[in-house]
Amino acid sequence: MRICPTKAIRVREGKAQLLPDLCIDCGACLRACPSGAIHATTRSFAEIDKYRYKVALPSPILFGQFPLALTPAQVAAGLGRCGFDVVCDFSAELALVNRAVRDFVDQWHGPYPLLSIWCPVVVRLVQVSYPRMVDQLIPIQAPRELAGRTVKQRYSQELGIHRNEIAAIYITPCQAKTVSIRAPAEGGRSNLDGALGISDVYNDILALARPAEKTAGGPALPSFSCGAEMLRWSTSEAQGRVLSRHRYMSVTGLGNVIQVFNDVEKGKLRNIEYLECYACRGGCANGNLTVDNVYVTLSKIHRLLANLPESDPALEAEVERRYPQEDFSLAAPVRPRGIESQRCDLKERVRWVKRQEALIEALPGLNCGLCGAPTCATFAGDVARGAARLARCVFFSDERLRELRDTYLRRCKPPPDD
Amino acid sequence: MGQELLKKTYPVHGRNFDKAGEAATEIKQLLKELGLDAALIHRAVVVAFEAEMNVVMYASEGTVTLVLTDDDIQLEVADRGPGIADIALAMTEGYSTATNEMREMGFGFGMGLPNIKKNSDVFHIDSVVNTGTTVSSVIRLDSSA
Repeated sequence: MRICPTKAIRVREGKAQLLPDLCIDCGACLRACPSGAIHATTRSFAEIDKYRYKVALPSPILFGQFPLALTPAQVAAGLGRCGFDVVCDFSAELALVNRAVRDFVDQWHGPYPLLSIWCPVVVRLVQVSYPRMVDQLIPIQAPRELAGRTVKQRYSQELGIHRNEIAAIYITPCQAKTVSIRAPAEGGRSNLDGALGISDVYNDILALARPAEKTAGGPALPSFSCGAEMLRWSTSEAQGRVLSRHRYMSVTGLGNVIQVFNDVEKGKLRNIEYLECYACRGGCANGNLTVDNVYVTLSKIHRLLANLPESDPALEAEVERRYPQEDFSLAAPVRPRGIESQRCDLKERVRWVKRQEALIEALPGLNCGLCGAPTCATFAGDVARGAARLARCVFFSDERLRELRDTYLRRCKPPPDD
Repeated sequence: MGQELLKKTYPVHGRNFDKAGEAATEIKQLLKELGLDAALIHRAVVVAFEAEMNVVMYASEGTVTLVLTDDDIQLEVADRGPGIADIALAMTEGYSTATNEMREMGFGFGMGLPNIKKNSDVFHIDSVVNTGTTVSSVIRLDSSA
């Protein structure tokens, strides 16, 4: 409850409830929940099996999750054997998006800075808390979305089947991307058909990566090569390379992003052209569905990169060929998310705020959380708006204390005798 | 004049760059809780922030006072400081008396007062040299950005 950066969680009768208007899908609660009661909205293999042709699109982060003895090709092979017909590298889409971003930044006349939209939490944060800045979100499809479109086109042509019979499944480092696939921020439909968490497939990949050891036979998978472009994208400053001649800045960690957005909102940082921002500190390698530590992952990715050539002429040729034909635009511009419940009379709201301030003075300020709100100030706001009663605070109600004993002590064992 | 609904005063300390901008941040949060239109909040934040920065850069101390009525947002930023000798000149875009040190910190582009005026529906500035400056801004609730 306290971990939630937007204070969107309340505990009622011993269970966590979410205030959906405030939630930005950051997944901090998922990482922190002690009882495992909060789940990510990933897909299961049973759901994916109904498709005729199953394509896995692994987040570049996946390849930094395993011991270095496992090559990216072996990891991809292991992933394929989990139940996919093919595992696709989307280096070309990453390179295409990089170029689209560069060209967009070049022709943009402000307001500055433009903001990256690859992290769905950042997009949601802007929609909820910085509605004035939605026009600064760069209107270019994320590489994973572009890749979803590409593989559906490609395999429906190659195999002569309908694109709806093809599943494009993203292997995601975080649950936020699963939400963005289910309900894209800009509206419309995602090109992807769902996501599996890296942690969902990790053990299976470990077991299946080297076929000689256990599983003989099985369908042969097309070979997979992980391009440098894939690995480069896994770092939070991926686009600094492409935008080296621009005024570029990278920010990671939700707290840092909020600080920087506050500055942007005040009119500072107008000299920055492009801000690449991620809600997780260190970037997607720190997503809440990853397995290995973020810094260990990044170090491994750097090691993998060191073994790859600097440039890839075949990839560059593909990008040259495809760039003029690709449509990078979003289905619709991203709009602010109005908070419906806040629409009411100004005088009424002033009364709420004044009452909240008076209540803050009256409460102990210990932020014990026993009322079910994360802080005394949040509780004061709930009480002021009539969403909670003051008697939920144990300092004002013996009855509440008894109720909590009944709810929680029943779950506990009696204390040991001395 | 609309009926006054809420009045708040935030202190600002001159030369305290560490805390600079906090009044503007608090004002933004308050106006957001009050459910005001995002464009209005944005204008109020820019006004409060630029005026607050002027106090931090030039004055010894000052206050940001927010008055909300049912018609408008009124911001008054008053300081005890050097004052402005030539107000017309100070209102010129790009004119600044900021020191190199301030410019290195990213301030002093000579856009502060012009920005405040641009974002206000009513703008007023009073200054007495060697005494202080008061900047008043009114943003009407029914005005658009």
